[in-house]
Amino acid sequence: MHVFSGSKGLQGDKNPIVFVHGTGMDHTVWTLFARYFLRHGRDVLSIDLPGHGKSKGPLLDSIELLSARLLNYLDSRNVDKFSIVGHSMGSLIALETAAEQPNRVNNLVMIGTAFPMAVSEALLNLAKNNDPGAIDILTFMSFSEDARIGNNKNPGMWMTEGTRRLMQRSSKNVIFKDLLACSNFVSGLDRAKEVNAKTLLILGENDYLTPKHKAQDLIENFKSVLVKEIKGSGHSLMVENPNLVLDYLSEAL
Amino acid sequence: MKKPRDLKPDTLSLHAGQRPDKEHGARATPIYQTSSFVFKDTETAAGIFNVERTGHVYSRITNPTNAVLEERISALEGAVGSIATSSGQAALHLAIATIVDSGQHIVASNCLYGGSHNLLEYTLPRFGIETAFVDFRDLDAVKDNIKSNTRLIFGETLGNPGLDVMDIKQISNLAHENQIPLLVDSTFTTPHLMKPIEHGADLIFHSATKFLSGHGVVIGGLLVDSGNFIWDQNNNFPQLSKPYRGFHDMIFTEEFGPAAFINRARKEGARDFGACMSPHTAFLILQGIETLGLRMDRHIQTTREIVSFLNQHDAVVSVSYPELESHPDYKLAQKILPNGCGAVFTFELKGGKKAGQTFIENLNLFSHLANVGDSKSLVIHPSSTTHHRMDASALEKAGISEGTVRLSVGLEDVEDLKEDLEIGLESAIKSI
Repeated sequence: MHVFSGSKGLQGDKNPIVFVHGTGMDHTVWTLFARYFLRHGRDVLSIDLPGHGKSKGPLLDSIELLSARLLNYLDSRNVDKFSIVGHSMGSLIALETAAEQPNRVNNLVMIGTAFPMAVSEALLNLAKNNDPGAIDILTFMSFSEDARIGNNKNPGMWMTEGTRRLMQRSSKNVIFKDLLACSNFVSGLDRAKEVNAKTLLILGENDYLTPKHKAQDLIENFKSVLVKEIKGSGHSLMVENPNLVLDYLSEAL
Repeated sequence: MKKPRDLKPDTLSLHAGQRPDKEHGARATPIYQTSSFVFKDTETAAGIFNVERTGHVYSRITNPTNAVLEERISALEGAVGSIATSSGQAALHLAIATIVDSGQHIVASNCLYGGSHNLLEYTLPRFGIETAFVDFRDLDAVKDNIKSNTRLIFGETLGNPGLDVMDIKQISNLAHENQIPLLVDSTFTTPHLMKPIEHGADLIFHSATKFLSGHGVVIGGLLVDSGNFIWDQNNNFPQLSKPYRGFHDMIFTEEFGPAAFINRARKEGARDFGACMSPHTAFLILQGIETLGLRMDRHIQTTREIVSFLNQHDAVVSVSYPELESHPDYKLAQKILPNGCGAVFTFELKGGKKAGQTFIENLNLFSHLANVGDSKSLVIHPSSTTHHRMDASALEKAGISEGTVRLSVGLEDVEDLKEDLEIGLESAIKSI
């Protein structure tokens, strides 16, 4: 599994931060945040899920299997306790991981999340056929109306094309397997009850992929949860509002 | 499921990269005419410097007005990001300097803008970078000139001044088979007529001085990154795929993925070479881009009428415009430039150099100057001006003779332009 941990690698932090990306993405979506925590002396494991980015396959089509693979990797690196941050599909993997190992996870952060994370048959079919239309739809739905016009906080960068390009770099079937994993994950509410970690949800006001109201059931099932809503933001909160997301992460972690 | 659509180009030309100013409600893009930006606190400052927070530090690197322009051209080209530079030449230099080192090699079209030719032929060899100039219509020649140290292939969407249409798809296939990026100068076409990324270009640059602005009042350039090229597929681009000592051992491909190139170009090239654009210039270019579609359509409409007029005139030997069946790239142009082949073209006068000089001196509306893409019509004699450093052989290869005249057709009433040309042509005939 390919993991970005900065140029120095792991330094023995007792509470390293694990970042888990979403559908068709890779670890580069966490660069700004990883750099912040690295500068502040924290260990970071920003992972490429199997078959994503620079990680080899096989592709896994369930949140449970993806979480198990992640835990396997963390065990291999002798990571005991940790905090975990996930976006979109990655938030479900983070939830599953925090529920599976409740005494190892100190903090759980779910960004752009919902439960269930159902995916329409039409989108699944496009993805199954590796139709570029699936990437078009996901790119379009990932951003608020404002973000599709631009005004990026990151100067000179066109947000939608950056996201599209990452997905276009995905190997065959990656998008389909990821969407299938999201769609098939049925135990979210039960798993939320099992989480001991302090939990933070960061939601976008104008998230079309995982609308904020669809996180409500999850919120009600956590023992301890804080919710931050970012006004105007769509699903790609780390692209649309990186500084606010960083503020919330730095407060929580 | 309803297929989502991104905003159309004419909408992006007006809006991309800018929302109304939140503090004052300004609808137009404000000009942030400032060298530097006050940090909220020391922690925020450290965060911006360390690329963990977004924000502006110093206008040589980024500026909010320039950022709107950079986003806008990225949106129009379908790119991940762009950098505004002090000129088109600066954009070309930034592209090359970011990925080509001393001892390495470029394969370029032999039909380039004179300024680009100067840089590649005379200046870059001083820094150990050699260029092979090749006829891009001859794919075998392009292939034969690719060497193990070739790091870039470069040409123009429409060659200068003969309007050779570059078969971007074919050239990019060849480049990619050899794991080399393709850089394209898209100044003459603008994204309104062609989006090179859709055809396979990896990097684009514009002289924004020309059609993007249209008003001819600024000098500026734009370097655009498609985000498509895989820079770490081999070890040929260590600038992007290996630790960079100049930025805390950052590995750009590792931290920025598809945006590796443009981040390196900004964090090294914009920082160290310093060829930045003035925010006021960026504002003026944005004013131009707002009407890009309208202007380009009119440029094309008028150019077609002028081309037809000259093509039938007794004083003219030939007209070189890719929409004419006589042009070597007619079929290719029909395929990849269906909305027009730009508003710059050349024609050959009877009577050679003397006729050419007389023609130019008797024009009134066409201004004799070294620029193209203005809303005002322009004329120049390439062999004695823009391409005067090229020897006879190079001129011939570029399709330039002593009687070649280059026009850049503006937005004036077409009848007035034809009348102006008629006066010039009559004078030219009398001078022979």
